[in-house]
Amino acid sequence: MERKNFLKTFALMAATGPMIIDGCKKDAAAKSTTTTSTSTTSGSCIVTASETEGPYPYVGGEITNPLNRSDVTAGQTGVPLTLSFVVVDANNSCNVVTGARVDIWHCNKDGYYSGYANQNSGLGAKSYVGETWLRGYQLTDSTGVAKFSTIYPGWYSGRATHIHIEVFVNGVMKKTTQICFSESINNVVYASSLYSSHGVNPLTNEADGILGNSLTDLANETVSLTGSVAEGYSGSYTIGIQL
Amino acid sequence: MSKAQVKIVYRQVIDESYSSGFEKAVFQASYEEFLLKSQAYNQEGKFKTFSKIKANDGRANSLHYKLSFSVGHFIAQLNNKIPVIRDNMGRKISFEIANFELIESHMEDISLHKVAINYETGLLQLIETMGEYLLLANGYLPKQGPIETFVLRMQPDLSIVSYQELNQPQIVLSAS
Repeated sequence: MERKNFLKTFALMAATGPMIIDGCKKDAAAKSTTTTSTSTTSGSCIVTASETEGPYPYVGGEITNPLNRSDVTAGQTGVPLTLSFVVVDANNSCNVVTGARVDIWHCNKDGYYSGYANQNSGLGAKSYVGETWLRGYQLTDSTGVAKFSTIYPGWYSGRATHIHIEVFVNGVMKKTTQICFSESINNVVYASSLYSSHGVNPLTNEADGILGNSLTDLANETVSLTGSVAEGYSGSYTIGIQL
Repeated sequence: MSKAQVKIVYRQVIDESYSSGFEKAVFQASYEEFLLKSQAYNQEGKFKTFSKIKANDGRANSLHYKLSFSVGHFIAQLNNKIPVIRDNMGRKISFEIANFELIESHMEDISLHKVAINYETGLLQLIETMGEYLLLANGYLPKQGPIETFVLRMQPDLSIVSYQELNQPQIVLSAS
């Protein structure tokens, strides 16, 4: 089946609801191989050509993981934040790495993560199981850049303001790290209307048990930002890995 | 008259014997994510199974929720209806929360990958039990008039996880 027709078919399936999904049992949609073949004639009928089954479509009919997205906001409100990550190979003259998968995730303006149940962040217990906002991944482009649009993260008790990052190259994890921002910008953002109910993060970057355990590392992990609450902030961060 | 307010969980175990497109998608996507995300707790690749990774580094328990993001989009296609089980009229049961669980996996053998999705209903009224059957109603009951009910058979992987008895008879102790 041509991809276009396949997508049309799936869109119809999605529109008719989950009963059809459940009805797609093994007998009806047997596990097929990924090999392809050309039509051949046998007697008076044509042996139908085999085609690769392809990936299982996601909810919107797309065939790539919806978390493969540049804009991870997914409806969360906050001060806009644009981050560009440049992945470079320290073992190869700091040349850029293309096709690296960069995953990011962080809490929302009130200090809650999507996907977790029973979180406490000073604004009451909340559960966000089944939600995926402020999470996503991108593959670095030909210039080694993975760019994300998100919101400025909030904070929760016991941690400085931060964003989590993981980098994979050819399916192998090459880096797990976190970045932070200057407290002066944190405090300006946290005084703005969408964040003010939670107030200022009382924990400094230096006092953070993870980011603050090395002042050199902390300096390297603090991303310089430009912008304002009204215009949003943006910054670039180079992730050095060793291939 | 309702006996109790309950919540029910159906546990859908998914392994290599998957039997629907949904199960296959969950199986494959969660395994691919396991291969990626488990590396954070197994950086030297010394351990092959989730059990051993977890025993070596308790933080690997976060793989339950980390992997859940790889299958959330498939669960969304269920439109909050539990797959597999039906009530006695053949209708699907609604769920409120779906919790993903990584039961076991192996870095080099997808056939040992096994996960579960635990579908938890909202508040239900348990009106009566009839042998292995439960007479249930959704939400809160009106004070008067007929109510819409459904009958569900207790079966493997189905459990009552929350129970609050209503109109408990007052126990009177008398000294003699």
